Amino acid sequence: MRQKIKSAATWFSDCSSKVKLSMLIMGSGQFGYGAKGKGLLYFLVEVTVIYYFITRGFGDIAGFFTLGTTKGDAWLGVAGDNSVIMLLMGIFAWIVLVAFLVIYVGNVKDAYAMQKRVEQGKQILTFREELSEFLDKKFYVTVLVLPVIGVFVFNILPIIFMILIAFTNYGGDIVPPELVDWVGFENFSRLLTLTRFAPTFFRILGWNILWAVVSTALNYFVGLGLALLLDKECVKGKAIWRAFPVLAYAIPGFITLLAFKFMFSYGGPINQMITDGGGTAIGFLDLDAKWMARFIGLLVNCWISTPSIMLLATGILSNRDTSLYEAARIDGAGRWKQFQKLTLPFVLFSTMPVLIGQFIGNFNNFGIFYFLRGGLYMDGYFLASDTDLLINWLYNLSIDNNYYCIGAAISLIIFLITSAISLIVYIKSPSYREEDTFQ
Amino acid sequence: MRRRIAVLLMVVLAMQTVAACGSEKETAGGEAGKESASAQTQSSGSSVFTGELEQNVTIRVLENDTAISKGYFDELITAFNEEYAEYGITAVDANMDQYLDLANDGPYGYGPDVLYQANDIIMQYATGKHIYPLPVEQMECYSQIPQTAWAAYQTVVDGTTYTCGVPVNVQAPMLFYRTDLLPEDWESEWDDNENQIPDMVENWTDMYEYSISRHAEDSSRYGYMKSLYDVYFSSGFLFTYGGYVFGDNNTNPEDIGFAAGEAEKGAQVLLQLAGVMNEECIDDTITTNAYSKLADGTYFATMSTPDVYSTFLGELQLAYESEGMSATEAEAAAKENLVMTTLPKLPESGDLTDENAECVDTKAMGGVNGYAVSAYTKAPNACLAFVEFATSYEMVAKRSEMLGIAPAREDAAEAAGGIAQMLYANLENGTTVLMPSVQEVSQIWTPAQTFFTDLAKDAFREEDEKKYTDLPSLKEGLEQVDTQIYDAIFTLK
Amino acid sequence: MSKKTAKRHMTAGKIIDTGVTYALLLLVAFVFFFPCLWLILASFSKSGSIYSFDGFFPQEYSLASFQKLFTDTALYNYPRWFLNTLFVASGSCILGTFLVILTAYTMSRFEFKMRKPMMKTTMVLGMFPSFMGMIAVYLLMTQFNLINHLWGLILIYSAGAPMGYLTQKGFFDTIPKAIDEAARMDGATNFQVFTKINLPLSKPIIVYTALSSFTWPWSDFILPKLLLKEKNLYTVAVGLMSLDETEFARFAAGSVFIAVPIVILYFFLVKDMVNGMAAGAVKG
Repeated sequence: MRQKIKSAATWFSDCSSKVKLSMLIMGSGQFGYGAKGKGLLYFLVEVTVIYYFITRGFGDIAGFFTLGTTKGDAWLGVAGDNSVIMLLMGIFAWIVLVAFLVIYVGNVKDAYAMQKRVEQGKQILTFREELSEFLDKKFYVTVLVLPVIGVFVFNILPIIFMILIAFTNYGGDIVPPELVDWVGFENFSRLLTLTRFAPTFFRILGWNILWAVVSTALNYFVGLGLALLLDKECVKGKAIWRAFPVLAYAIPGFITLLAFKFMFSYGGPINQMITDGGGTAIGFLDLDAKWMARFIGLLVNCWISTPSIMLLATGILSNRDTSLYEAARIDGAGRWKQFQKLTLPFVLFSTMPVLIGQFIGNFNNFGIFYFLRGGLYMDGYFLASDTDLLINWLYNLSIDNNYYCIGAAISLIIFLITSAISLIVYIKSPSYREEDTFQ
Repeated sequence: MRRRIAVLLMVVLAMQTVAACGSEKETAGGEAGKESASAQTQSSGSSVFTGELEQNVTIRVLENDTAISKGYFDELITAFNEEYAEYGITAVDANMDQYLDLANDGPYGYGPDVLYQANDIIMQYATGKHIYPLPVEQMECYSQIPQTAWAAYQTVVDGTTYTCGVPVNVQAPMLFYRTDLLPEDWESEWDDNENQIPDMVENWTDMYEYSISRHAEDSSRYGYMKSLYDVYFSSGFLFTYGGYVFGDNNTNPEDIGFAAGEAEKGAQVLLQLAGVMNEECIDDTITTNAYSKLADGTYFATMSTPDVYSTFLGELQLAYESEGMSATEAEAAAKENLVMTTLPKLPESGDLTDENAECVDTKAMGGVNGYAVSAYTKAPNACLAFVEFATSYEMVAKRSEMLGIAPAREDAAEAAGGIAQMLYANLENGTTVLMPSVQEVSQIWTPAQTFFTDLAKDAFREEDEKKYTDLPSLKEGLEQVDTQIYDAIFTLK
Repeated sequence: MSKKTAKRHMTAGKIIDTGVTYALLLLVAFVFFFPCLWLILASFSKSGSIYSFDGFFPQEYSLASFQKLFTDTALYNYPRWFLNTLFVASGSCILGTFLVILTAYTMSRFEFKMRKPMMKTTMVLGMFPSFMGMIAVYLLMTQFNLINHLWGLILIYSAGAPMGYLTQKGFFDTIPKAIDEAARMDGATNFQVFTKINLPLSKPIIVYTALSSFTWPWSDFILPKLLLKEKNLYTVAVGLMSLDETEFARFAAGSVFIAVPIVILYFFLVKDMVNGMAAGAVKG
């Protein structure tokens, strides 16, 4: 610790006055060293950020802590505070602050680097030279700036928002214009003390894991099988054959699901055919249908998901090294051997991330059972049915029954469990560890 | 199937309710703020209603799709704009989803100024004060609309009662049947009281008996068919025997009454009715197929709301046309043969096989649709003028005539006669029980729906697997519904 | 080894193999076509109601629902919805594909400090139930004044797209790095290596990416429902859901018609995919 402070102090005394100036006014050091364009850019960043914080940033950060102090009342004309917006914009201000600090540190480092260059008698890079770096050595920075900003604003910000909601009392009667408050870990302790939750949670979790594993495997192998089938030399008119699964891809998912729900309903075409043939109608999806309904869910999900996997596998198969197959054939390897030793490892390697993506997608597959068998609360479950996945349960809790903060708390727990599992699997997977096997 | 879509819509809306946001600084209307101090003295109606019309404003009105598609809404705004041309007030179609959630969009300025929705939805806005309380006692329609309808729009805040909407239209389940499907000899065999009205549409006992005989004659045909699934239509049977949703006139969510009184008798009736239908009554398929199955003669009767009368009519007309009638003949025949009427009576004993039972009126869950004024409007007085105009006798009568709805105004109901008058009467005498207007009502649907599905399924279970074999077991099932709803509401509160 | 005997030996097996293959293909085609066929038939049904079916087939056929779909636009303006959807989907497709391909390429080819943490983070972020974040997205868009703007949707779809870069990265991982290095020796910048060498090789994955980033906005319901409040801004998915319950034939017609562009797109792109396969073969 002491060492650190000492080295920081020596570093500071080593800095030229221009670098120190940069610490106060961003870009001024660069300006002093003659890099005017860059200096100006840094300066502009500082001005914009300061302007933002004065006009609303500081207020937003204060709002993040208070979550509002005056309750709105439209009847009395009291404008009031909107806690949820305050929370959201507070998070936004924090993100801006962090981003600014990163740029600030970059600015100081940059000025220091210039100082070193001057001391060593090197030329300062021109603005043009620096820019061209961004097409070459620092190409990745150029490319990633936009995606990173986008992901931060539209993915990470909402997720932080939801995670923080788990620590408030938002939901039930407490929605704006009522004021929301921070409650710490109260939601979590309620989850632990309520005996009704645990049985439902574990029952659903078990089914959820089974569902995710089985449906991912099923979709994956059916999709790969289709791609291999269509890839065979003897198949003529590949485009036409491939068009049938693409049809499934072309119709929006919710329409497909509604159509399937109807087909399997008591009055649907399948039961109509059964009754016309003299049988009794089968309740494929009704409330006694537990395993039947689960099975149909798997098949319907397979119908919806395989076309995209097939297309992907087709693309990947086209990258196969054909000479390897030639060699294998000469060595007398049968088709199954070829598939086992060549195709599968290759496809598995390049689709491992997809497989994990599919697993996550299936784990959180909301639509299937919401559309096929929504609107039932079964005995033995707290506000859920026996086909519901965790995400459906979350939905029932947080949206249908307004327990928003509880929903957020549960989703945080699930999120921690599932992300830990998938992260481990991902890090252990060959496509993460041996990225360049095929390069 | 379409019902699921409606449910999804409702759910998406509900999701937005949670995201509902209170007034924002810019939009909360500064004009309201000035007079806030004097607001306490007024009993109801916000102080923003000064009576002074804002000039040269455009107000966006949200109407329901039927009113727009049948051309009524066009007439309404044209007439209004003509009347108020001198003030420069123009009403336009808000061009938004009829089920939109004001609590979600209003605070940011994306909502309409005036909206027409069902009472339970409008009153949820009132909880968050997203709509203004209206000075209804000063309105022309006040005395014409029964107190029960007004009550559906009332809320008590700090001891003062506020009315937040103006009732326009009463919705309640009705029986639809075809006279040309009655047995030939109905006048001699099925009219014991000789009042020229077939018995099967007068009481459920005879409907039950006729359903059995119609199905026995031809196994592909049925008498009465309706999904039990739908809580709106099924809960009325429980209400008839003493059940209710919430206590204290549907305002106290701590007291849930699906099992109250002898509600199990109502469940028994439903179970017996399910026995004369087929498995389609378990899920919601009948709801979507009723129109064409009534038209092709598979069903004799079904239950639905008055606003779909024209759909039944259209399908029947199509069916007649395909039998070889000309378009005009088919239309006339369809109008003559399709009858919409109030629900048959129930046996007091709760047993449809008991032919000599005393009969009681069947209660039904209904709703009142009406107008409300958004608290985010810039021109509350112009909006009030619009509501006043749209609820005048002429407009409500025209609405009833063009859309076939049952007006909440007594004079318009009388003028319309027939069904409209019956519905008005039912509302006044309490046969139509209005949907609760408290927030917790959104949590009753799924548990109740699950029970009714289970009940319907039970009619088709193997003998030894049946769950509901006698009245006590039904009572137990209903009590479970009550607990489930109670838990849903209070476990986490 | 004598080629002739080997060939003769294989023919019998080959015939059976071909037969089995085609039988399987027929089965696959049937399974995928059956529900679609039902929807298509429903859209040609004369009656508007879902139940005027004789078993599987409608009692009477007519083109009325398609005609209504495109002419009766007072309340349900399908052509308008269709154009809106086309705009949103095309915009998101172009922007999204661009971002995803670039992100995936970068993640595959560059070594930098934040790379592995970023890969792990995106992986974990995908685990979060997305509907829980929807409310935040809505609130955010009200603050940015992007409600009732079609390009607001494009913005969100494209911004979310790079999260799904893993598939594309997997593809780039399989392209040998040796070519890149040769080009760099010749003095090409990284930008040039990407545009001149890797891009032409990645047609199949670009087609795949484009197709999937087109179809997602094309069929999404929740986000447009959340962000578009005016009826004339609706996309087809939202519009279809707002149809009255008695409009089933119109619903079916609208659903069938919305699939048409995807199928057309597919037939156009399948050639590129085949070309991509050829390129892959040359490279291998």
